[in-house]
Amino acid sequence: MTVSEICKKTGGTVASDAAGASADCVYVGDLLSDVMGHAGDGCALVTIQNHLNTIAVCTLVGCSVVVVCHSRPVPPDMAEAAAREGVAIIVTPLSQYAAALALSELPPSERK
Amino acid sequence: MKFDLHIHSCLSPCADLEMSPAEIVRRAVAAGMGGIALTDHQSARNAPAIAECAKRAGLGCLFGLEVCTAEEVHTLALFDTVEQALAMTDFVYAAMPKRVNDPDTFGDQPVVTWDDDIVEMEWRILAMACRLPLAAASAKCHELGGIYIAAHVDRTAFSVFSQLGGIPAEGAFDAVELSRTADEKEWLPKVAEYAVTRSSDAHNLDDVARVWTEADLAAFSTAALKEAFAFRATRISPRITRF
Repeated sequence: MTVSEICKKTGGTVASDAAGASADCVYVGDLLSDVMGHAGDGCALVTIQNHLNTIAVCTLVGCSVVVVCHSRPVPPDMAEAAAREGVAIIVTPLSQYAAALALSELPPSERK
Repeated sequence: MKFDLHIHSCLSPCADLEMSPAEIVRRAVAAGMGGIALTDHQSARNAPAIAECAKRAGLGCLFGLEVCTAEEVHTLALFDTVEQALAMTDFVYAAMPKRVNDPDTFGDQPVVTWDDDIVEMEWRILAMACRLPLAAASAKCHELGGIYIAAHVDRTAFSVFSQLGGIPAEGAFDAVELSRTADEKEWLPKVAEYAVTRSSDAHNLDDVARVWTEADLAAFSTAALKEAFAFRATRISPRITRF
């Protein structure tokens, strides 16, 4: 699923774009240690964690789309890191569960 | 006496590499601090270096680490001696992921000498949480004779309020810290039962001692701080509203 499709489904806006970023599964998590331990390659990460470390964890697990919930603002250092690492950030007014439902045509992320 | 109890050295992956123990001490002395605490993420491995720098400069120094607990709450564990701080580090390290740090992702983590030589690069991912619940980290800190402070409680990430909705477990904390930008009118009422500190959480040299805490201390030690905390006798500097 492309960034623009994820935006459309979640009613979100792109806070930081990345060429070629897309998702073929979804992981929902607000504890970054949990995300690092369980999220799989190619997922969209649905989270409320609007800070720099989120991008670092995305880079480690191979996630290229972050969906930040509840319209939390994206700080400049997070956007800069995302641009550098090729991670797209979408900000949606939805909650984590509502965002997950909106993306329900994608399967759950699983570690290969 | 003024003191800054939350300072990162170059060992913290997110801190500037120019944050050498020697330069931190120089900046703290220049800013009129009577004491500082070194609090790198999950590790006190630069404590031996800053101990030597502080001794040479006649600056009070506590040795600690900023423990990121399983709940992803940032907390400060502060000790009088390097040995205590390293014992706490061993306890935290045993609960760290065994994954190796990628410096390009998180940043470099040099362990240094007092005169700025690099001893080695820490391999653990200091930017990540450990598996210790907050209560276990607090208990170990206290068992080792340290003081335990809830870090930057006003922040929207990695604070007791952001992660747990408030301050948990009676007795877990000896004090709570407000960040450099926290509005005391908003936050002091929320933490009214606690002694309050304000520290810089400096990750670069210009931020060292930009804000501070003040108290009448007989000596710069955990015992004297505990006493000041017990009597709610700390005062905090104004917040920073412009960068």
